[in-house]
Amino acid sequence: MRTTVLEYDLSKVIELAKQGKRLDGRGLDEMRDFTIENDKYENAEGSARILLGETEVIAGIKIAVDKPYPDNPDEGAISVGAELLPLAHSEYEAGPPSPDEIEVARVVDRGIRESKAIDFTKLCIKEGESCWIAFMDFYAINSDGNLFDAGSLAGLAAFLNAKMPKLDEKNRIIKHEYAGKLELKRLPLLTTFVKVGGKILVDPTYFEEKAAEARFSVATTEDGYMSAMQKGIGGSFTADEISVMVDKAFMIATENRKKLLKMVKK
Amino acid sequence: MKKLVIPGELISQERKRLGNNVFVVDGKIYSKVLGITELDDEKASVVPLEGKYVPQQEDVVIGVVNRVVFAGYGVNINSFTESFIPKSAMREELKIGDLVSAKITSVNELREADLGFPRRMYGGDVVEVIPVRTPRLIGKNGSMLELLKQGTGCEIVIGKNGRVWARNGNIDLLRKVVKFINDNSYKSNLTSSVEAFFKAEGIQVNVPKKEDIVKKNVEESETMEESEVLPDAETN
Amino acid sequence: MQKQIKEIMFKVNDMSGKQRDDAPDYKKEKKRVDGRKMDELRPISIKVGVLPNADGSAYLEWGQNKVYAAVFGPREALPKHTQNPYKTVVKLNYRMATFSVPERKQPRPNRRDFEISKVLSEALDRAIFTEQFPNTEISVIVEVVDSNAGSRVACLTAASCALADAGIPMRDLVCATGIGKAFNELIVDLNKEEEDASDAVDIPIAILPNSEEIVLLQMDGLLKKEELDKLMPMAMKACKQVYEVQKKALQDKFKLSEVSEANVEANVAGKEVKEVPAAKEKVESKKDNKESKAKKVKK
Repeated sequence: MRTTVLEYDLSKVIELAKQGKRLDGRGLDEMRDFTIENDKYENAEGSARILLGETEVIAGIKIAVDKPYPDNPDEGAISVGAELLPLAHSEYEAGPPSPDEIEVARVVDRGIRESKAIDFTKLCIKEGESCWIAFMDFYAINSDGNLFDAGSLAGLAAFLNAKMPKLDEKNRIIKHEYAGKLELKRLPLLTTFVKVGGKILVDPTYFEEKAAEARFSVATTEDGYMSAMQKGIGGSFTADEISVMVDKAFMIATENRKKLLKMVKK
Repeated sequence: MKKLVIPGELISQERKRLGNNVFVVDGKIYSKVLGITELDDEKASVVPLEGKYVPQQEDVVIGVVNRVVFAGYGVNINSFTESFIPKSAMREELKIGDLVSAKITSVNELREADLGFPRRMYGGDVVEVIPVRTPRLIGKNGSMLELLKQGTGCEIVIGKNGRVWARNGNIDLLRKVVKFINDNSYKSNLTSSVEAFFKAEGIQVNVPKKEDIVKKNVEESETMEESEVLPDAETN
Repeated sequence: MQKQIKEIMFKVNDMSGKQRDDAPDYKKEKKRVDGRKMDELRPISIKVGVLPNADGSAYLEWGQNKVYAAVFGPREALPKHTQNPYKTVVKLNYRMATFSVPERKQPRPNRRDFEISKVLSEALDRAIFTEQFPNTEISVIVEVVDSNAGSRVACLTAASCALADAGIPMRDLVCATGIGKAFNELIVDLNKEEEDASDAVDIPIAILPNSEEIVLLQMDGLLKKEELDKLMPMAMKACKQVYEVQKKALQDKFKLSEVSEANVEANVAGKEVKEVPAAKEKVESKKDNKESKAKKVKK
């Protein structure tokens, strides 16, 4: 895939969008096909690899024992990080997290955390003293756009695969032994749209992201809740556009969820 | 008709020629900036009350040397970018902080200005004003500038980029008057108000007649302004 | 001793997000914990042109929030690789002072600071006529010196005033507010107590008031679509109320100059200043203004 973006590419994308078409022939409301590979990385308590079109993202979960936050002594926590590896695109540089990396990590995090998908009190080991913290980190291995949804899908799959470590009498983790799975009460998924040439497209490719005036992501659950929203890039949306995108997101995420659950339950 | 407007404020619902600092949405005219409207039957524009200096060809500006490199000097003219004066253009070496007056000979599409006729300015002091308001300091046919020179006894050079250089005379008084004009730049009859300002300080000044100015124009080389109406200080 | 401290902390810092036994129910009580109506904003005051070294500036108070905004530019964009040959690049930097939050914040910027800086910069992008200043940057610095929920919308509101103060051409001001839900009711402008409610939903939103375009929209919490549909018009109304405060602050900046003119008129008429009643009041305020004016350096 050519990574240098030419002005010609952007004008093509915009022109097609105005006619309701896209470079890869998809409909404006159509997501790319994706496949998920489960639990490939043995050191992780849970992991997944997703291929969404040509976007490849891997997500891994490490569960560690830590002291609970003083405000919530009977709860554990999750923490989400993201990295756009230099492998994934010539424009990504190694180094401390860039604002793009921070944003995508925090939005995926909010989608999961705010949906109350995980009962944090179940992650408590000893009130006030110790609890489980699940660290989910996802990495872009190759970028053809929409790391938000790819990270969300891979992250959710990784959580669904995740096993809880076992502790010995001295509260140390026993290697290669597990005490059941990490329970998820809800399955939040992000759906991301961009505005190109005044039209709204779902699941943008890299070129579509570059040609976009504005971007909108919303996390939805299977029981009708929104758990996160993020408007991004410059530009703007009208309230009507937001409303339509939210409605579409519920539908698209429902489809994605079905596919994901089939791929994860093996 | 004049009105204080803020960015995005509606100016007119009628069709008019578009002047500076306005834009149209759905046939309605809005202001782009914080400023005063200039509205008549035919044209709509806004004179900004704030803003950096936008270089225009032929403007006389006062620059401050910011950088010294092998080939010349980086000069701050209070705009978006620095201008450059090659060493060959100056008769002497300049240091960081030195003042020069120069004329803008050309401006490219990135608003980078080329400076010609650079002259070192010795001594004196610089009073900074908001660049878009400098035309008021010069006045119709230079009448305001005359008033300032009379009232303070200073040698004055007004740079269109918002810098007033003055030497000898009552510089403190000049500072006050310049500030007064700056603060009231959008009001009409400013010349009379300034006359009154000097009077309050016990100084009698004479608003110069047009013929006297024209004669002086020929003798001196400062840039003069042609009209009392606030000229558009910025091209889009 | 440790155990005692932990017990006290648990009781005092009940921010666990669990339903408090004594949690209010806004639907029943029809009044908020600070007495406000559901769609009422906290008091906002704005002053522009407060920082003499900046090209534009504003100081804003919104409830307990206190923020400074300064604008530098358009100026040359550095480092060079951040230059865009077609437009100016808006770089907003959001930081909080260590003492601006209940528990001391580390002076080093954290991830939240970076994210907020990013979304606020992007919110301003649509408002500014960025194509007018290619290859330059507009640097907007916002510093929160005291906070109580809603610091980012306070900063964006202040930044918008600072940009107008700097003479930056814009299609409209950017007006921001927080909307959402707490204690069983949809509300506008959550305070900290409401943000910590177990059912809290916090939605920072910002619009360009003329066109109602949304340039900032984020959400934390669980919300139903129907609730969002109800909140949107409340948000538009609240943002427009914020706009009125911003507009007045910008207009007020130029009222100060009327004072010096009155003084001059009095002098010309040969009267002593104190004989003119109207001018007298203005002279007294002129003294105060003189100090604040003296601090201003005109560019």
